[in-house]
Amino acid sequence: MQSPLKRKFRERFFAAAVSTIAALSSLLLIAIVFFIFQESLPVWSNVGVLKFLSGANWRPVVVPPELGIAPMLVSTMWVALGALVIAAPLGFGCAIFMAEFAPAWLAAVIRPVLNMLTGIPSVVYGFLGAAVLVKFFEVTFDLASGESLFAASLVLAIMVLPFIVSNSEVALRAVPDEYRYAGLSLGVSKPYFVLHILVPMARRGMLGAMVLGFGRAMGETMAVLMLAGNTLLVPTSWFSKGEPLPALIALELGSATPGTPHYQALFAAGLVLLVLVIMVNLLMNIFLRRVQSGVNKF
Amino acid sequence: MIKRNLGDRILVSFFWISGLFILLVLVAILAYLIWRGGAFINIDFLLGSPEGYPLGSEGGILPAIKGTLWLILLALIFSIIPGLATAVYLSEYGRNKRLTEAVNVLVQSMMGIPSIVVGLFVYALCVVRLGWGISLLAGGVALGLMVFPVIVVSSRNALLAVDDNYRLVARALGVSESYIFWRVILPRAVPGILAGILLALGYAAGATAPIMVTATAIIASSSGVLLEPVMALPYHLYILFNEHMSLDNAYATALVLVLMLVFINALALWLHSIQERNNA
Repeated sequence: MQSPLKRKFRERFFAAAVSTIAALSSLLLIAIVFFIFQESLPVWSNVGVLKFLSGANWRPVVVPPELGIAPMLVSTMWVALGALVIAAPLGFGCAIFMAEFAPAWLAAVIRPVLNMLTGIPSVVYGFLGAAVLVKFFEVTFDLASGESLFAASLVLAIMVLPFIVSNSEVALRAVPDEYRYAGLSLGVSKPYFVLHILVPMARRGMLGAMVLGFGRAMGETMAVLMLAGNTLLVPTSWFSKGEPLPALIALELGSATPGTPHYQALFAAGLVLLVLVIMVNLLMNIFLRRVQSGVNKF
Repeated sequence: MIKRNLGDRILVSFFWISGLFILLVLVAILAYLIWRGGAFINIDFLLGSPEGYPLGSEGGILPAIKGTLWLILLALIFSIIPGLATAVYLSEYGRNKRLTEAVNVLVQSMMGIPSIVVGLFVYALCVVRLGWGISLLAGGVALGLMVFPVIVVSSRNALLAVDDNYRLVARALGVSESYIFWRVILPRAVPGILAGILLALGYAAGATAPIMVTATAIIASSSGVLLEPVMALPYHLYILFNEHMSLDNAYATALVLVLMLVFINALALWLHSIQERNNA
C-alpha cells in the first residue's frame, strides 16, 4: 500500500503532465503558422501582399523574379468550387436518402461504405482519375491531353462526397421529431416535408458540411497534381488547365534552393493556402456549433 | 395532383439514385482495380525489389511496403503520446471551459491543415534547418503532425462516450480521480481509442503529399535508417504512373494500397462498434 502523500503527488504529477502536453500540442498549429510566415516574410515585404496575390506571372528563378500567384489562386478556387457544385447536390441527396428514405439495412450498408471511401488515399483517386477519366476525355473528345480543372473537380467531388453526406446526415437527424409528426399529420407528402420543413431546419448544418467539403477540396494535393494539367496560365474556363496552390508547392519545393526568393515565395503560397483553409474551418465551426446547441434556428 | 405526384417521384428517385451512387463508387473502384491489377499481384510482386529499366518498371514493391510501414511506425510514435495526453486533458481535466474550448478549436483547425502545408513546414524545419535532408525521420514527423489531431479527436470522443454514471458511482465510493481514470474510464474507452489509432494509421499510410516533399525517393532500400530517404507505397504509385514506368504495376500497387486501407478501416469500424456497444 502506498502512502496517501505519494499517491496525491502522483495524481498531481499526472494532471500536470497531461495539461502541459495538451497546452504544448495545441500550440503546434500556431507554431506551424508562425514558422511558415517567418520563412515567407521577405516576400511580403519585398513584393507586397496585394501584388503577390494578384500578380499573373510566376517566374521565380529569373532575375529579378516575378512572384504572382493569381493563376494558382484562381485555379484553387475554381477546382474547389467546381467540386462543390458537383458534390453538393449528390451529397445532400444521399444524406436525405439515408435520413428519410433508405430502409434501415441499406443505410447501415451505406454508412461504412462512406468510411471506406474516405479511407481510400488521394493518390489512388488521382491515379484512377488520370488513368481512366482523363483517358476517356482524350478518346471521346479527341483531345491531345484530357487534363483540366474539370477533371480535377470531378475527382475531388467524389473525394469530398462522403464528408458532405455524413455531416449533412447528422444535421438532418438533429431536427426534432415533432416537426415530422406535425408536418405529416397535416397531410403533406414526404417529399414536401423534406423540401419545405426538414431541409430548411437543417440548413445550417448542411451548409457547414458544404464548407467542410470546400476546405478539403482546396487543400487536396495529389488529385489536382495528377489531373489539373499543371500550367501556369490564369484559367479561363472550367475546361482549361491550371495549377492549384498545393500542386505548385508539391512540384517546386524540391527544386527551390533554400533562402532564394523562389523558396520564400513557395512558403508565401503555403501561407495563403493555410489562411484560406483555416478561415473556412472557423466558418464551419460557427455553423456547426449552432447546430449542436439544440435546434437549428432559422 | 398528378403533376405533384410526378414531381415527388422524380425527387424521390433522385434521392435513391444519389444514395446508390455512393455504393456504386466503392464497388466500381474495387472492381476496376481488381480487374486491372489483380492478376499482377503475387508473391514475387509483394516480396521482390524493383527491377527493369527504368528501375521500377518491373519487379516488386517490397521496399515500398517496408518504407510505408516504417513511416507509419514513426508517425504513431510521434503522435500517440501527445495525442492521448491532449485527449485526456480535454475529457478529464478540461475544467477551465474557455481553455478547453480554445484547445478544441485549435485541434479541429489542425485537422483541416492541408497535408502539403504540413509537408512544407516539416521541409523547412527538419529537412533544411535541422539538416536531416530528405529522410525517413522527417517523413515520420510530417505524418505524425498530420495524424495528431485525428488521434486527439477520436480518443476524446471515446473517453467522453463513457457513461458518466461510472464516474459518479466511483466518486461516491471515495475512489481517487486517477484510479477512476485508469481503472474505470480508460478500459471502457480502449476500443474507441484503438479505432482512432487505426484510423490515423490508415490516414498516414495513404498520405502522399507530405512525404513526397520530406521523405521519399524513387528508389531506396527502405531499411529503416532514420536519416535516409525511403520508398513508400503511395509515392511509388504516383511515380509508376507519372513517369510512365508501368501501368500494370501501378494498378497492382494501387490495389495493394486500397486493400490494405479498406482492411484497416473495416477493423477500425468494428472496434468502434464494440465501443458503442460497451457504452450503450
